[in-house]
Amino acid sequence: MLKHAITYTDFQPGDVLGEAVTTFDGSMTHAWRRIFGKPAGGSDTEGAERASLAIILMMRAYCSVVTPRPPGNVHARQRFHLHGVPLPGESIRTVVSCSGKEIKRERRYVELRTEGSGNDGRPLFTGDMTIVWAR
Amino acid sequence: MGSVNSVCAFATVSLVVDAASIQAYAELTDDFNPIHIDPVFAATTPMGGVIAHGTMSICLIWQMLQKNLGADVFKSPALDVRFLKPVREGELLTAGGSPNASAPGLFDVWVRGTDGSERIVGTLWLPANAPAALIQGADK
Repeated sequence: MLKHAITYTDFQPGDVLGEAVTTFDGSMTHAWRRIFGKPAGGSDTEGAERASLAIILMMRAYCSVVTPRPPGNVHARQRFHLHGVPLPGESIRTVVSCSGKEIKRERRYVELRTEGSGNDGRPLFTGDMTIVWAR
Repeated sequence: MGSVNSVCAFATVSLVVDAASIQAYAELTDDFNPIHIDPVFAATTPMGGVIAHGTMSICLIWQMLQKNLGADVFKSPALDVRFLKPVREGELLTAGGSPNASAPGLFDVWVRGTDGSERIVGTLWLPANAPAALIQGADK
Protein backbone atom coordinates (compact mmCIF):
# COMPACT_ATOMS: atom_id res chain seq x y z
CA MET A 1 0.00 0.00 0.00
CA LEU A 2 1.34 3.44 -0.87
CA LYS A 3 1.90 5.79 2.03
CA HIS A 4 1.06 9.44 1.56
CA ALA A 5 4.00 11.79 1.55
CA ILE A 6 4.93 13.30 4.90
CA THR A 7 3.49 16.79 5.23
CA TYR A 8 4.45 19.76 7.36
CA THR A 9 1.62 19.05 9.77
CA ASP A 10 2.95 15.54 10.41
CA PHE A 11 6.09 16.88 12.11
CA GLN A 12 6.02 17.26 15.86
CA PRO A 13 9.04 19.00 17.42
CA GLY A 14 10.72 16.69 19.91
CA ASP A 15 9.72 13.52 18.12
CA VAL A 16 12.39 10.95 17.32
CA LEU A 17 11.58 9.95 13.74
CA GLY A 18 13.80 6.89 13.51
CA GLU A 19 17.30 5.72 12.88
CA ALA A 20 19.42 4.31 10.09
CA VAL A 21 22.46 2.08 10.27
CA THR A 22 24.96 2.08 7.42
CA THR A 23 28.31 0.38 7.10
CA PHE A 24 30.96 2.69 5.77
CA ASP A 25 32.46 0.54 3.05
CA GLY A 26 34.69 0.93 0.04
CA SER A 27 31.80 1.36 -2.35
CA MET A 28 30.94 4.71 -0.78
CA THR A 29 34.51 5.91 -1.11
CA HIS A 30 34.62 4.76 -4.72
CA ALA A 31 31.36 6.55 -5.53
CA TRP A 32 32.55 9.74 -3.85
CA ARG A 33 35.80 9.68 -5.82
CA ARG A 34 33.86 9.32 -9.09
CA ILE A 35 32.41 12.76 -8.38
CA PHE A 36 35.12 14.62 -6.52
CA GLY A 37 38.28 12.84 -7.61
CA LYS A 38 40.79 10.78 -5.73
CA PRO A 39 42.64 12.67 -3.01
CA ALA A 40 46.14 13.56 -4.09
CA GLY A 41 49.14 13.74 -1.86
CA GLY A 42 48.79 10.74 0.41
CA SER A 43 46.68 9.63 3.31
CA ASP A 44 46.62 13.05 4.97
CA THR A 45 44.23 14.18 2.26
CA GLU A 46 41.60 11.65 3.30
CA GLY A 47 40.16 14.04 5.89
CA ALA A 48 38.02 15.91 3.40
CA GLU A 49 36.84 12.66 1.88
CA ARG A 50 35.78 11.19 5.20
CA ALA A 51 34.24 14.44 6.42
CA SER A 52 32.25 14.44 3.18
CA LEU A 53 31.18 10.88 3.78
CA ALA A 54 29.93 11.92 7.22
CA ILE A 55 27.72 14.47 5.45
CA ILE A 56 26.60 11.78 3.02
CA LEU A 57 25.78 9.39 5.87
CA MET A 58 23.67 12.15 7.38
CA MET A 59 21.79 12.59 4.11
CA ARG A 60 21.32 8.84 3.71
CA ALA A 61 19.82 8.63 7.18
CA TYR A 62 17.49 11.54 6.47
CA CYS A 63 16.38 9.99 3.19
CA SER A 64 15.92 6.58 4.80
CA VAL A 65 14.01 7.74 7.87
CA VAL A 66 11.99 10.71 6.61
CA THR A 67 10.12 9.02 3.81
CA PRO A 68 8.09 9.33 1.66
CA ARG A 69 8.85 13.00 1.16
CA PRO A 70 6.91 15.33 -1.11
CA PRO A 71 8.81 16.30 -4.24
CA GLY A 72 10.32 19.76 -4.29
CA ASN A 73 11.70 20.15 -0.75
CA VAL A 74 14.61 22.58 -0.60
CA HIS A 75 17.58 22.47 1.78
CA ALA A 76 17.92 26.00 3.20
CA ARG A 77 20.52 25.77 5.95
CA GLN A 78 22.89 23.17 7.36
CA ARG A 79 24.74 23.20 10.63
CA PHE A 80 27.14 20.34 11.06
CA HIS A 81 29.41 19.60 14.00
CA LEU A 82 31.90 16.91 13.10
CA HIS A 83 33.08 15.07 16.20
CA GLY A 84 35.06 12.39 14.38
CA VAL A 85 35.39 11.00 10.87
CA PRO A 86 33.95 7.58 9.98
CA LEU A 87 36.44 4.76 9.63
CA PRO A 88 36.41 2.08 6.92
CA GLY A 89 34.25 -0.85 7.96
CA GLU A 90 32.61 1.10 10.75
CA SER A 91 28.90 0.72 11.34
CA ILE A 92 27.33 4.17 11.57
CA ARG A 93 24.07 4.65 13.46
CA THR A 94 22.24 7.90 12.82
CA VAL A 95 19.20 9.00 14.80
CA VAL A 96 16.89 11.52 13.16
CA SER A 97 14.55 13.73 15.15
CA CYS A 98 12.40 16.79 14.57
CA SER A 99 13.75 19.75 16.51
CA GLY A 100 11.35 22.41 15.32
CA LYS A 101 9.14 23.85 12.62
CA GLU A 102 7.69 27.21 11.73
CA ILE A 103 5.99 29.06 8.90
CA LYS A 104 7.70 32.23 7.73
CA ARG A 105 6.67 34.28 4.72
CA GLU A 106 4.28 31.50 3.70
CA ARG A 107 7.11 28.95 3.62
CA ARG A 108 7.05 25.84 5.77
CA TYR A 109 10.39 25.39 7.55
CA VAL A 110 11.20 22.05 9.20
CA GLU A 111 14.21 21.57 11.49
CA LEU A 112 15.66 18.08 11.65
CA ARG A 113 18.50 16.92 13.88
CA THR A 114 20.74 14.03 12.92
CA GLU A 115 23.10 12.44 15.44
CA GLY A 116 25.62 9.98 14.06
CA SER A 117 27.72 7.55 16.06
CA GLY A 118 30.19 4.84 15.17
CA ASN A 119 31.40 1.69 16.78
CA ASP A 120 30.82 1.52 20.55
CA GLY A 121 28.79 4.72 20.33
CA ARG A 122 31.75 6.85 19.27
CA PRO A 123 30.21 10.26 18.44
CA LEU A 124 30.72 11.23 14.81
CA PHE A 125 28.47 14.14 14.02
CA THR A 126 25.53 16.30 14.97
CA GLY A 127 23.68 17.87 12.08
CA ASP A 128 20.87 20.41 12.10
CA MET A 129 19.19 20.79 8.74
CA THR A 130 16.59 23.38 7.83
CA ILE A 131 14.34 22.32 5.01
CA VAL A 132 11.65 24.26 3.20
CA TRP A 133 8.95 21.60 3.12
CA ALA A 134 7.05 21.46 -0.13
CA ARG A 135 3.60 20.58 1.29
CA MET B 1 29.04 35.93 7.71
CA GLY B 2 30.36 38.17 4.95
CA SER B 3 33.80 39.33 4.08
CA VAL B 4 34.19 42.62 5.98
CA ASN B 5 36.38 41.06 8.64
CA SER B 6 38.10 38.60 6.37
CA VAL B 7 41.83 38.50 5.77
CA CYS B 8 44.27 36.24 3.90
CA ALA B 9 41.94 34.50 1.44
CA PHE B 10 42.40 30.76 1.07
CA ALA B 11 43.27 28.97 -2.15
CA THR B 12 40.07 27.90 -3.86
CA VAL B 13 38.85 24.49 -5.05
CA SER B 14 36.51 24.06 -8.03
CA LEU B 15 34.21 21.43 -9.48
CA VAL B 16 32.02 21.31 -12.59
CA VAL B 17 28.57 20.09 -11.58
CA ASP B 18 27.05 18.29 -14.54
CA ALA B 19 24.08 15.97 -14.90
CA ALA B 20 26.25 12.89 -14.41
CA SER B 21 27.73 14.14 -11.15
CA ILE B 22 24.30 15.16 -9.84
CA GLN B 23 22.96 11.70 -10.67
CA ALA B 24 25.98 10.05 -9.03
CA TYR B 25 25.51 12.17 -5.93
CA ALA B 26 21.81 11.25 -5.81
CA GLU B 27 22.80 7.58 -5.86
CA LEU B 28 25.45 8.10 -3.18
CA THR B 29 23.05 9.83 -0.79
CA ASP B 30 19.86 8.01 -1.84
CA ASP B 31 18.38 11.47 -2.38
CA PHE B 32 16.31 11.23 -5.54
CA ASN B 33 14.29 14.38 -4.99
CA PRO B 34 13.06 15.10 -8.54
CA ILE B 35 14.12 18.72 -8.18
CA HIS B 36 17.66 17.34 -8.65
CA ILE B 37 17.15 14.78 -11.36
CA ASP B 38 13.88 15.40 -13.23
CA PRO B 39 14.06 18.42 -15.56
CA VAL B 40 10.35 18.31 -16.34
CA PHE B 41 9.31 18.33 -12.70
CA ALA B 42 12.02 20.80 -11.68
CA ALA B 43 10.79 23.28 -14.29
CA THR B 44 7.44 23.42 -12.50
CA THR B 45 8.96 24.43 -9.14
CA PRO B 46 9.96 27.89 -7.92
CA MET B 47 13.56 26.89 -8.75
CA GLY B 48 12.61 26.78 -12.43
CA GLY B 49 14.85 23.86 -13.29
CA VAL B 50 17.19 21.19 -12.00
CA ILE B 51 19.41 22.18 -9.09
CA ALA B 52 22.30 20.32 -7.49
CA HIS B 53 22.11 18.87 -3.98
CA GLY B 54 23.18 21.49 -1.45
CA THR B 55 25.46 19.13 0.40
CA MET B 56 27.53 18.60 -2.75
CA SER B 57 28.81 22.10 -2.15
CA ILE B 58 29.63 21.26 1.46
CA CYS B 59 31.89 18.47 0.20
CA LEU B 60 33.69 21.10 -1.88
CA ILE B 61 34.09 23.30 1.21
CA TRP B 62 35.67 20.37 3.06
CA GLN B 63 38.14 19.92 0.19
CA MET B 64 39.01 23.62 0.26
CA LEU B 65 39.60 23.51 4.01
CA GLN B 66 41.76 20.40 3.68
CA LYS B 67 43.84 22.12 1.01
CA ASN B 68 44.44 25.20 3.13
CA LEU B 69 44.47 23.96 6.71
CA GLY B 70 45.36 20.29 6.50
CA ALA B 71 43.77 17.27 8.13
CA ASP B 72 43.70 18.78 11.63
CA VAL B 73 40.80 20.97 10.55
CA PHE B 74 38.57 17.89 10.80
CA LYS B 75 39.11 17.56 14.55
CA SER B 76 35.72 18.79 15.77
CA PRO B 77 34.90 21.66 13.40
CA ALA B 78 31.44 23.23 13.49
CA LEU B 79 30.11 24.35 10.13
CA ASP B 80 27.08 26.60 9.64
CA VAL B 81 26.06 27.37 6.06
CA ARG B 82 23.06 28.85 4.29
CA PHE B 83 22.09 27.85 0.77
CA LEU B 84 21.41 31.24 -0.80
CA LYS B 85 20.90 30.45 -4.47
CA PRO B 86 20.52 27.23 -6.42
CA VAL B 87 23.39 25.60 -8.24
CA ARG B 88 22.41 24.81 -11.81
CA GLU B 89 23.46 21.85 -13.87
CA GLY B 90 26.65 22.62 -15.80
CA GLU B 91 27.96 25.27 -13.42
CA LEU B 92 31.53 25.63 -12.29
CA LEU B 93 31.42 25.73 -8.50
CA THR B 94 34.25 27.32 -6.56
CA ALA B 95 34.75 27.03 -2.81
CA GLY B 96 36.83 29.49 -0.84
CA GLY B 97 37.15 31.22 2.45
CA SER B 98 39.38 33.10 4.82
CA PRO B 99 40.05 33.55 8.51
CA ASN B 100 37.61 35.94 10.15
CA ALA B 101 39.54 38.57 12.08
CA SER B 102 36.75 39.05 14.59
CA ALA B 103 37.54 35.86 16.52
CA PRO B 104 40.34 33.28 16.62
CA GLY B 105 39.27 29.96 15.17
CA LEU B 106 36.46 31.50 13.15
CA PHE B 107 36.53 31.28 9.35
CA ASP B 108 34.27 32.56 6.62
CA VAL B 109 33.49 30.01 3.92
CA TRP B 110 31.64 30.33 0.66
CA VAL B 111 30.78 28.62 -2.60
CA ARG B 112 30.27 30.65 -5.76
CA GLY B 113 28.79 29.73 -9.11
CA THR B 114 29.97 30.28 -12.64
CA ASP B 115 28.86 33.92 -12.57
CA GLY B 116 30.73 34.57 -9.32
CA SER B 117 27.60 34.99 -7.22
CA GLU B 118 27.44 33.37 -3.80
CA ARG B 119 25.49 30.14 -3.56
CA ILE B 120 26.53 29.19 -0.05
CA VAL B 121 27.91 31.39 2.69
CA GLY B 122 28.71 30.45 6.22
CA THR B 123 31.21 30.05 8.96
CA LEU B 124 33.42 27.37 10.38
CA TRP B 125 34.39 27.28 14.04
CA LEU B 126 37.36 25.37 15.30
CA PRO B 127 37.53 24.28 18.93
CA ALA B 128 39.56 26.40 21.32
CA ASN B 129 41.99 23.54 21.90
CA ALA B 130 42.95 23.30 18.21
CA PRO B 131 46.61 24.03 17.39
CA ALA B 132 47.38 27.75 17.48
CA ALA B 133 48.62 27.82 13.89
CA LEU B 134 45.39 26.18 12.74
CA ILE B 135 43.22 28.64 14.64
CA GLN B 136 45.10 31.46 12.93
CA GLY B 137 44.41 29.84 9.56
CA ALA B 138 48.00 29.05 8.75
CA ASP B 139 48.43 25.35 9.34
CA LYS B 140 49.70 24.52 5.87
